[in-house]
Amino acid sequence: MIEVENLSKIFKVYHHRKGFFGSFVNLFSRKHHVVQAVDEVSFTVKRGEIVGYLGPNGAGKSTTIKMLTGILVPTSGSVTVNGYIPHRQRKENAKHIGVVFGQRSHLWFDLPVQESFELLQRIYRIPETRYRYNLEIFDELLNLGDFFQTPVRQLSLGQRMRADIAAALLHNPDVLFLDEPTIGLDVVAKARIRQFIQKINAERQVTVVLTTHDLDDVEKLCKRVILIDNARLCFDGELATLRRLLSTERLLSVDYAEVYSDISISNAHVIYREGARAQYRFSPEEISTADLIGAILQKFKIVDISVQEPDIEELIKTVYEDNSLIVPCGETK
Amino acid sequence: MKSLYLAFQVYLAFAKKSFQRRMQYRVANLAGLTTNFFFLLVHIFVYTAFYAARTTPQPLNLDEIITYFVLCQVSFMLMPFWGTRSEVTSAIKDGSVALQLTKPVDFQTYWFADECGRAFYYLLMRGLPTFLISILFFKVTIPHQPTVLMAFAVSMTFAIFMSNAITITIFSSGFWTLDTTGISGMSYSIITLFSGMLVPIALWPEGLAHVARWLPFEGLIDIPFSIYLGKITGVEVWIAIGKQMVWNLFFIGLGRFLLTRGFSRLVIQGG
Repeated sequence: MIEVENLSKIFKVYHHRKGFFGSFVNLFSRKHHVVQAVDEVSFTVKRGEIVGYLGPNGAGKSTTIKMLTGILVPTSGSVTVNGYIPHRQRKENAKHIGVVFGQRSHLWFDLPVQESFELLQRIYRIPETRYRYNLEIFDELLNLGDFFQTPVRQLSLGQRMRADIAAALLHNPDVLFLDEPTIGLDVVAKARIRQFIQKINAERQVTVVLTTHDLDDVEKLCKRVILIDNARLCFDGELATLRRLLSTERLLSVDYAEVYSDISISNAHVIYREGARAQYRFSPEEISTADLIGAILQKFKIVDISVQEPDIEELIKTVYEDNSLIVPCGETK
Repeated sequence: MKSLYLAFQVYLAFAKKSFQRRMQYRVANLAGLTTNFFFLLVHIFVYTAFYAARTTPQPLNLDEIITYFVLCQVSFMLMPFWGTRSEVTSAIKDGSVALQLTKPVDFQTYWFADECGRAFYYLLMRGLPTFLISILFFKVTIPHQPTVLMAFAVSMTFAIFMSNAITITIFSSGFWTLDTTGISGMSYSIITLFSGMLVPIALWPEGLAHVARWLPFEGLIDIPFSIYLGKITGVEVWIAIGKQMVWNLFFIGLGRFLLTRGFSRLVIQGG
């Protein structure tokens, strides 16, 4: 469905000289440096897969997505989506993909959702019966009816996101690109959108490429993840594999009921302590979370306790810093 | 042929929605009528004073001058340099152009369709009211021959098309410079002067008028209004409209070329 080979994108960034005089000099000579946004990235995605395309800010995620959707022209390498070369056959490719950028809406700002949808029906030449059918299903899953007549500018972020995702799927695309679809949403809205994506993927065999900073998104939706950092691919494989590869250490924060002099627990390291508050670092392989909490409860009185998973940036950093973890594309399949 | 018809339907829908979108702001727009009349009055007072001081006959008499500036106020909102700027013009600058590119539409045609809807809206909500109110207060000439009105309508349509073709060309430079404030500001001044927006070209000194006749911008204001006032007649009308057509093709072609080149080197800000 998607084939990417040795894909690279280089941007030139121009330096601006400061000040009044500098801006004149800028007119005649401009220095630039080269930024490698995507560096020799290769992967393939099969029909019906949901792939999490992850990486820290500025890693090159969005640039890759933009090349896959035909907005950006690659500097080198090849891309095919559905057999089309996106940047050469932009309009053809566009008919078969759906795109959602979490930060920007595709809908017409001043128009009610319904009007935007009708416009999309025209653009994609969606037959009336299919349009009605899709609308009914999306309404059922996302409750579009609540705000179908409301101008987009008056929608809440959650509503707007629901409308945007539905809009991207109206024309039954084969591939759906989601660029941070849950950014800024509350827990309920996130859950709803994840369910919807899952359902559409299962029922329609839509291939989904998802970029996100939300580890929950990945866990709920993706079996497979591709990690990039500093423009390069650093992991491609199952999420479970990734997790196994990383002996993920977790953090446990405890508020004790009183100040104890000795708060050490075997298999967990105290990394922070202030008054009655302490933080432990532990590895689930050595001691399970339940056992650790049990051990603490046995010894001490506590007020509050919480476990934190390392966030996605943290995970990616671990992978990237330890080169032995890098799994070349294809080997995990 | 059928696919052409279907494509037309898409862009027609764009134009309609563009119209509809603006209808939401129609009350704010009515307030803008005041501004129209303010500028109209300034022009009329200045020219009335000029004409009172002159005894030699001028190429346009005072009634014609007043009509000319009424037409200016009627039509300038229909053109993107002077009217409120559409979202499409800022789309390149802020990168939202990227979203349009994920849809199977031709960007330039989409832009035109959007602007046509806008122009039609301002014709109905600003242009016609301005014209009707002006008739009540000033001596506005109205051509008696239907052929003149038809030629004017055709010429005006080309003028609006060209204003958009030029705007697209100007803003396409944004792909290279990322900031079009300079170039659009400069073009704004040149276009305002050489279109005949401030002073009808018929009143210009010989040499400068000659320059204006060789530039495309007279096709925006001076040509359609001169047709309306009967200053261009007979074969001359066809030549004038032919000129507008050629410039239209030139700018559409240039805009298309720049857009194609621009998209291939697109840097989406904040990407």
